[in-house]
Amino acid sequence: MQTEPDPSAELSELSGELRRRALQLFGRSLHIRTVDTGSCAVCESEIRLLAAPHYDLHRLGFFFTPAPRHADLLMVTGPAVRAADNLLLKTYEATPDPKAVIAVGACALGGVYPQDSVMHGAIDRVVPVDVFVPGCPPSPLALLQGLLVAVGRLEERVRTLSLDLDAGSAG
Amino acid sequence: MAFWFYRGVRKGIATTRYPKTVDPWARELPSAPGFHAARLTLPLVDRLVNECPAGALAREDHELVVDLGCCTGCGRCLELGHGAVRPTGEFLLASSDRAALIKRVPIRGEHRMGNAD
Amino acid sequence: MTHAIGALAIAAAACWLAAAGVAVLGAERRPGLGASAVVSGAGGIAAALCGVLLAVHGAGTTIRLGGGPVGAATFHIAPLAAPFILLLGLVAGAIALYGPRYHEPGRGTAVYLAVYNLALLASLAVLAAGNVVTFLVAWESMALLCYLLILRHHERPGVAEGAFLFIALSEIGFLMIVLAFAILATQTGTLDLAGIAARAGRVQAGWRSAAYVLALCGFGFKAGLVPFHIWLPAAHPVAPADGSAFLSGLVIKLGVYGIALFGFTLLPGGPAWWGLVTMGFGAISAVLGILYALMERDLKRFLAFSSIENIGIIVTALGAGMTFIAYGQRAIGVFLLIVALYHTVNHGTYKTLLFLEAGVIEHAAGTRDLDRLGGLIRRLPRTAVICLIGTVAIAALPPLNGFVSEWMLFQGLFQGFRISSHLVGILIVIAGALIALTGGLAINAFARAYGIPFLGMPRSGQAAHASEIRQPVAGPALLAGTCVLLGIGAPLVLTALDRVARATTGLDIRSKLILPQLTVIPAHTDFAGFSPTYLALFLLAITAVPILIFFAGRPRARSRRPPVWDGGILDFKPRMQYTATTHANPVRVTFEPLYRPSVQVERASDDPAGRSGPVHYRFKVTPIFDRYLYQPLIRLVETLANLARPIQSGDVNLYLFYVFVVLLIAYAVYAT
Repeated sequence: MQTEPDPSAELSELSGELRRRALQLFGRSLHIRTVDTGSCAVCESEIRLLAAPHYDLHRLGFFFTPAPRHADLLMVTGPAVRAADNLLLKTYEATPDPKAVIAVGACALGGVYPQDSVMHGAIDRVVPVDVFVPGCPPSPLALLQGLLVAVGRLEERVRTLSLDLDAGSAG
Repeated sequence: MAFWFYRGVRKGIATTRYPKTVDPWARELPSAPGFHAARLTLPLVDRLVNECPAGALAREDHELVVDLGCCTGCGRCLELGHGAVRPTGEFLLASSDRAALIKRVPIRGEHRMGNAD
Repeated sequence: MTHAIGALAIAAAACWLAAAGVAVLGAERRPGLGASAVVSGAGGIAAALCGVLLAVHGAGTTIRLGGGPVGAATFHIAPLAAPFILLLGLVAGAIALYGPRYHEPGRGTAVYLAVYNLALLASLAVLAAGNVVTFLVAWESMALLCYLLILRHHERPGVAEGAFLFIALSEIGFLMIVLAFAILATQTGTLDLAGIAARAGRVQAGWRSAAYVLALCGFGFKAGLVPFHIWLPAAHPVAPADGSAFLSGLVIKLGVYGIALFGFTLLPGGPAWWGLVTMGFGAISAVLGILYALMERDLKRFLAFSSIENIGIIVTALGAGMTFIAYGQRAIGVFLLIVALYHTVNHGTYKTLLFLEAGVIEHAAGTRDLDRLGGLIRRLPRTAVICLIGTVAIAALPPLNGFVSEWMLFQGLFQGFRISSHLVGILIVIAGALIALTGGLAINAFARAYGIPFLGMPRSGQAAHASEIRQPVAGPALLAGTCVLLGIGAPLVLTALDRVARATTGLDIRSKLILPQLTVIPAHTDFAGFSPTYLALFLLAITAVPILIFFAGRPRARSRRPPVWDGGILDFKPRMQYTATTHANPVRVTFEPLYRPSVQVERASDDPAGRSGPVHYRFKVTPIFDRYLYQPLIRLVETLANLARPIQSGDVNLYLFYVFVVLLIAYAVYAT
């Protein structure tokens, strides 16, 4: 069984790494453009919370921008509703390279909604995705981790995570 | 120009720190479910697969396939599974590899007749 | 030189007379149409040359024609008329180039062209008149001929009303002009204009003021000053395009000529309040003209209101000039006279251009409604370029002629502080502020008038299929070139106008107007100055900067060219664009107390979710002058007429009684 996480320690570690990676790769600031392909907007609220004083994204040099031309990262939410295909593809095309696409939320990763005539079901069926951030909604801490992974290809923790609580015992 | 200002502009150094104490609600954040393999039985697993509204659970032979990407943290598997399913407390699950989010848990519990434990 | 001027004027008159004859005889076929246009154009060239020579020479010439029972027709071509004659020649030449491609040969066209050429002749006669009777005869003929011009398509709706309004107000103005001239003629004892000017001192002060006010109002009817303007937006849209161009480019300038004639030649040195009243009329016309223009969807009505605005600017310059002269600041006064004459020529040039292009648009796209046009820059490229030059000129943007003349006007007005009376100084500043407001609104208005029809997507099928084939280009192009030359060559033009002003007022401000470095200064070296010529060169040169930056800063890395970011929209539809009505919305909301609009909204249902189907929104500006000034006057006249009606009862016995009474009176009078 995993020990309870200590958010503040993780946070310091995360934010330090984030800054370092961001500085290396993109200079002193990184611009994020959010794209909503039909979500319930709770993921958007969590993303917006990142800029709130508690998490304060701006102090780390991340900014939100409405113009994809200025963006380095795309944060895409929603189950890729087909009506938003045009929107998502145009935004993706308009974002200059180097860019990273972060799919945020269970909907964007394929959960909850199936692939049918109305929607694709998962973002990576429409545009190539660099980082997947699960959660419904992912908490801002999880979003931060996602940003870090997107920016620096940090070693991810989830690869070594096992859901078998009995692992380790003789089975 | 003040030294600290110059240094901050050059290096992009943050000027505030995160709060040092843990937020009280962090412990109650929805997190990925963990499974006691020894207590998972086939009927139980089938029932869990049926009840998961996000389509995160599936059964392949004697393995429970959990797609962490699809899990919404609704907690129905926790309720139905009783002792077999516990929250892991892991919510920092970002990954660059979609496949890394798909975990497998072997089903090792005994098959019991008519028992929806 | 004087012989040349006289000869050219006679040549122009003869050409136009001949053109009228050719039109009547031959314009039912295309070759005759072309021949008439050629002769008319030759007359235009002669008139333009005459105007230029007259301005350069700086002294007038006199021609006497005939003798006989009515007396001789005396023509005295004074330097003050030089800019107007030049403008007449330009307008005639441009319309001559434009006419053959615009008109369809036929009986109606033949009569129309004959009337038009005679109207040109009458206008020249007005400008060259040396005698009160000649002036009045020429004026009235010009008015009647213009009335016939407007009636070209008399079977269409609105034409008869527009023409009637034109002639009715013209007659009221004519009555006032006759009274003004009558006062002057009786007081000075001569009918000769030069004689009146020489003996102006004999006119008593009260009669002088009465004459000037009558002249201001009478010529104001023709010029289109507010509140005498209501015929302009009614008559201009219904006349054919070249007729509207002639009306707006030249005929309203004849009203300005009349005011300048009275203010500077016949009654010079009047009290300051004349100038202030003139300036007041001018400033209010300018502001109200452009405010009403912004509410117009019809391109030609819009241009008509814009003409009112520019006439207001010209008359403001005249009035301010008279005020400065009355307070002893003669140099600035003469400077403002020069500004008024310069702006007259400028406005004549670009307004004629815009009206001609409005005609092209109407023929190409089938409609004048701004809200049904759009995207014409792709369909009518040459028209778009020419119209752009005209729009930039009329919006007073550097380096074209509109900018130079409005800059000079502002510099002249700003010198109000040199006047000893503080009140008058403040009034001049207020006039300057109103003209500045006009300038800002004019830029808004012309951005709308150019952007809505030419840019964007077509808002109707007609606009989408507009074609430039067989549309006239040469005439408007000539005027566009003239706009550019008048702007860049401003030092030359101003030198000529200075000679005109010197001949008219006796003061030469050449050294205070243009410095050797081609710089224009407003009569005082320590005030302001700029060089239109060098400004134009500078603006041309500065366009090289972004080009250089582009070539220097091109990315060396491989670059990808995705489409323009449009917000992710699926498809642009013409209905997503601004319309002319919405573009002017901020002005509409701000000036609502002036417009007093009546708004009607009709919905099919009251469904709050908006599913009620089409919504009809009707917005009408209240015509305050028509409703609150003219209608009461008309009702008063009708009441008086009704009161007098019993006299004409139709009863023979009553008429015999009248005869009896008159005989009694005659007997009583002669017996004593």
